[in-house]
Amino acid sequence: MAISRGARCGGHPAVRARVRSTRAFPAALLSATLLLTACGAAEPNELLVLEWAGYEEADFWVDFAEANPDASVEFQIGANDADILAQMHAGSDADVFHFYTGWQQFYVDEGLVREIDTSKLTNWDKVPDDMKALGQVDGKQYYVPWDWGFTSILYNTDHVAEVTSWDALFSEEYAGHISMWDDGPGAVTVSAYINGWDETAITEEQLAQIETDWIVQKPLNLHYWTDEYADLCPEVISGDIWVAYAWQGCYASALYEGVPVAYANPEEGRNSWVGLYGISAESESPELALEFLDAKLAEVTCSNAVTIFYYGCANADVMAAVEDETLIEAFAINDPGILEATNFTPPVTAEQRDAWTAMWTRVKAE
Amino acid sequence: MLGRRGFLRFLALPPYVWLAAFLLAPVLLIGVISFRPEPGPIDFGEPWTPSLVQYGRILETASYLRQLAISAVMALIVAASATMLAFPVAYFLAFRAGERASLYLVLLLVPAAVSFLLRVMAWRLMLGQEGGINSALQWLGLTKEPLDLLIYSRSAVVVTLVYVWIPFATLPIYAAMGRIDRRQLEAAADLGAGPWSRFWRVTVPLSLPGAAAAFFMVFIPTVGEYITPRLVGGSETYMYGQLIQDFFGRAASWATGSAAAVIMLVLTVVLVLVATRLVNLRRLTA
Repeated sequence: MAISRGARCGGHPAVRARVRSTRAFPAALLSATLLLTACGAAEPNELLVLEWAGYEEADFWVDFAEANPDASVEFQIGANDADILAQMHAGSDADVFHFYTGWQQFYVDEGLVREIDTSKLTNWDKVPDDMKALGQVDGKQYYVPWDWGFTSILYNTDHVAEVTSWDALFSEEYAGHISMWDDGPGAVTVSAYINGWDETAITEEQLAQIETDWIVQKPLNLHYWTDEYADLCPEVISGDIWVAYAWQGCYASALYEGVPVAYANPEEGRNSWVGLYGISAESESPELALEFLDAKLAEVTCSNAVTIFYYGCANADVMAAVEDETLIEAFAINDPGILEATNFTPPVTAEQRDAWTAMWTRVKAE
Repeated sequence: MLGRRGFLRFLALPPYVWLAAFLLAPVLLIGVISFRPEPGPIDFGEPWTPSLVQYGRILETASYLRQLAISAVMALIVAASATMLAFPVAYFLAFRAGERASLYLVLLLVPAAVSFLLRVMAWRLMLGQEGGINSALQWLGLTKEPLDLLIYSRSAVVVTLVYVWIPFATLPIYAAMGRIDRRQLEAAADLGAGPWSRFWRVTVPLSLPGAAAAFFMVFIPTVGEYITPRLVGGSETYMYGQLIQDFFGRAASWATGSAAAVIMLVLTVVLVLVATRLVNLRRLTA
């Protein structure tokens, strides 16, 4: 699409012929300038997407590929939110980047993201308002929400009685069969829930207590998982892990495999997260990037997130069409009180992020 | 016109340029970044004052230093085990395999053609609580419950790394044995040395340079290993390489990660220098 635009603009034979003539040079220069201006200096027809592993699969951008068969889409993989932010800091050429709630402010503060013109998004009206709000910073829409889900305790009902609190992760009864996510902010969130602390205002003393608690928990833990589908689910399904900090995708996978599992509704509440896409401030293809984000919200792409990864998608029409009983259970679609009992991931400051990550590194090294 | 010596230097130039660009320059860059006072984002355009604060952050944290020591000891165990296990393999190839030595060598290296990650994952399947080894032990009636020790432990990391390194450790030992002048063994036999004596007093000393090369070839990368402990080590096994990786990735703190990497590099170089000084190979092979 943009290539043809570019061919029409910069490479037009009439323009080249005029440039050859020195007498006509001023006129040619003016024409070329006008043409380039009119064309918006022709964007490259290529995108680089800084993504979490797994999302580069064609299923997760199928609508864009169909609408833009000539566009080239490359993916750069980030290991986690910190890594994605670090890559953007380091001058990544990514046009589009994907991260999760809690990290919105950093990209805006550091001038790494550009505002989104939602009037150009044809699927924007399908996104619920509260999700749109998660993509706003200082009243401006910087991000497009896409995938979402819960975090709670996934447990094997053959080995574990009903889990009613996040403190099941610290239970000696399940020693050697517990798995925690390898993430400092995630560990702080769990401890804040258990202790009834405000996770946005963790004091130094509280952080020291959290560090001690997780060091004590370490011998009970089989391993810290980093990839839900590679590290966690296979061992939940095999029966090695009985109690895990998990997203609902693994819950659905285990249900499909016939494993006796349940997904807790802890008295402290579940956690909920939303994935967001931003367009780099340095992108040379902002219009194409916008088309990419719009297509992410389209029906087939969103449905694939639901049926392949078992993650929720920001397109409300797609979620309303879910009929599969396992997915309805995984997304708690029939539970009217679920959102009231859910803690949404709050934004953290750079200082909190660094302190919590450093704390977690010390826990692992201890 | 280039002379013969000039021509040879010209031929040697590309690898030197390659090493300078892709080994020396990144190492120097890591060294420079390690002196940045701020751990966070790096803006190469902004001026900054060199500082030792990142080194202090590593050296003042006892658990980080303990991990460095544990990683060095684990690397020592892995390197010694892989070298010792590779020795008979190399001996067989050099002295017993005859014309089939090349075929056996290829067969030995075939597993190396499979991705490192896949080989480690295969061990995860073997060592898992429901894995091959536990199932066999239970089937034989040797254990009633799966052994937890097999997977997600330091021993699992050591076993996996030894397996991964044996084929590579074999190569320098095989090369050293291949260079042994067979007339020396014949002379030893003529002088009355039996097979055992010839092995210990001729073959082993003359193979030591290869064994030393194999040892260091395994030891140096194993100190900084991070993939294998992540996959089979569990939460109780955290190696220093994982610490560096966590600083670069999770903590987005390239300066601290660089300082940690430089400390490991210096320690490894010092250990290698001390070892080569203690073990005087020339004297041993004389």
